[in-house]
Amino acid sequence: MASEQQQTPLLEFRDVQTFYGRIQILKGVNYQVHPGEIVCLLGGNASGKSTTMKTILGIVKPAKGQVVWEGEVINNLRTAERIKRGVATVPENRRLFPHLTVLENLEMGAYTRSDAAGIAEDLERVYEFFPKLAERRKQRAGTLSGGEQQMVAFGRALMSRPKLICMDEPSMGLSPALVDQNFDLIQQVNEQGVAVFVVEQNATAALSIAHRGYVLQGGRVVIEGTAADLLDNPELKRAYLGG
Amino acid sequence: MRLAEITGAIQTAAGRVPRGVYAVIGFAIAAVFPLLNVAGVVETAWLRVGVVSLLFVMLSLGLNIVMGETGLLNLGYIAFFAFGAYTTALLSSPKFELQWPFLAVVVLSTLIAMVAGFVIGLPTLRLRGDYLAIVTLAFGEIVRLTIVNLQGLTNGPNGITGIYPPRLLGAEALEAAGSSGAAAWLVVDKPIEYYYLVLACVIVTSVLLSNLKNSRVGRAWNALREDELAAVATGITASRAKLLSVVLSAGIAGFAGSLFAYYSNVISPESFLFMQSVIVVCMVVLGGMGSIPGVIIGAIVLQALPQIIRQAAGAARSDFEVYRMLIFGILIVVMVIFRPEGLLPDKLWRREAREVDPRELEKTRQSLFDLEEGEKDLEV
Repeated sequence: MASEQQQTPLLEFRDVQTFYGRIQILKGVNYQVHPGEIVCLLGGNASGKSTTMKTILGIVKPAKGQVVWEGEVINNLRTAERIKRGVATVPENRRLFPHLTVLENLEMGAYTRSDAAGIAEDLERVYEFFPKLAERRKQRAGTLSGGEQQMVAFGRALMSRPKLICMDEPSMGLSPALVDQNFDLIQQVNEQGVAVFVVEQNATAALSIAHRGYVLQGGRVVIEGTAADLLDNPELKRAYLGG
Repeated sequence: MRLAEITGAIQTAAGRVPRGVYAVIGFAIAAVFPLLNVAGVVETAWLRVGVVSLLFVMLSLGLNIVMGETGLLNLGYIAFFAFGAYTTALLSSPKFELQWPFLAVVVLSTLIAMVAGFVIGLPTLRLRGDYLAIVTLAFGEIVRLTIVNLQGLTNGPNGITGIYPPRLLGAEALEAAGSSGAAAWLVVDKPIEYYYLVLACVIVTSVLLSNLKNSRVGRAWNALREDELAAVATGITASRAKLLSVVLSAGIAGFAGSLFAYYSNVISPESFLFMQSVIVVCMVVLGGMGSIPGVIIGAIVLQALPQIIRQAAGAARSDFEVYRMLIFGILIVVMVIFRPEGLLPDKLWRREAREVDPRELEKTRQSLFDLEEGEKDLEV
């Protein structure tokens, strides 16, 4: 872990502050995500989790501080440009295109790319990874089960050949069995070398797969550390783990 | 059972014919129609109906970009038509004693409408649904009222008269060379000539638009309509794609407006009433949102149908105008109930109209799940 800290982080937040109008959401936060890492961001409602996601994607621009991608400040880069550089997202509630087929949804994931051969290759990789999706390629995404939809959302994110996948509340709205399945998927994707940034309320599930974690409260990082440290942290236990 | 088999067989057979074949057949019929007039089978009045129908086909094709593809309602679309028409009228009439070449006028009319689209699009595209409808409606009325009151430029309610007929490329050169007889051939001033001119423009527009529909741009529009947040997350720049669709659709209206001004010789604010915007919306809805062949059929039906009824009504023709909008209204209500996807629907729109929205299903499933499991387990 120590050696990983030495290299340039994939994504870094340096004292990032964001506002909606006059209301401050993020009050100077610092995160680092290194290549190949799973990092989870824990926090309750209105702690700034979704704003963090939006700031990574460039939907919200920081008022102060820097968002750094592979050593370069990307504060003013458009969403499309960020996706081209390797940021992908699995949005909250999956947000598939329900009337498009599985294949069409996956193709939309490669929207920013124009290398037809590479796209075809990645499509095969996604099908290999999720054989279920190959079976259902012509089916409308909206008619799939929750678990299958999650695969499509994942597959769509993978289609942009990302270095980092940001996941917003992957356990939201899923049954407990599916939550487990979903976190298995995250680990499998991570084993392919893709870094994953998971924003979650479900602390136990997230920490069970993450390498490191941050706890956000009222727009500030209050606790950070390795997953094992966080699981042992008495404050966190009290707040989230019911311990 | 038997009947179902037969219709099924017809449908699969029809499905095998490439779509381009239907397009060629359709345009061929449209191209042959004026010959019936030359042969003396139909009256010239029908040719005029044809020209106006084709102009409305162009308008519907343009409105379809925003309504059908991107899913943005525009209730003031006719304003862009007015921008094109007035630009043409000012540049090619005795009003300012100008007679710019046809090509320059058409291009400039299109561009001015596009600029108008950009100016109205930029601040309003953050709005959705009802709000966008209200703003575009107001925009349409503001443009019309400006035309009525800007007397120095537009002659107000009297309109601009005596618009010169279009002189196609080369007419000037021929005239300069002294062969005015040949030059007269290049001046478009008979209904049949207008018909072919507008038909050519319609064909070019629809071919370009169907290519655009299947391009990256078209997919971006459809994705934005399906789920804006998901579209943004896949790397589509929503504001840019929406603005492009508004500007492009305004440009097509401006183009059609320019041809309309040339054809009708006289233009006045009465041609750009709110009802005209509504009629174009009806054409798109009736034909099938997002479907290029659909909106073409929709425009022809709604433009030609009143004329046919008027002819059939004969002596009672003056009464017909009174009921026209009523009949349109009933037609649209019937369509929305029985065939919400339109006469010739687009594939994606048919799914949206016919299939249960899975997001609604998801909500129901979610609420049932919450009842069973309780929210607590989810939040941990």
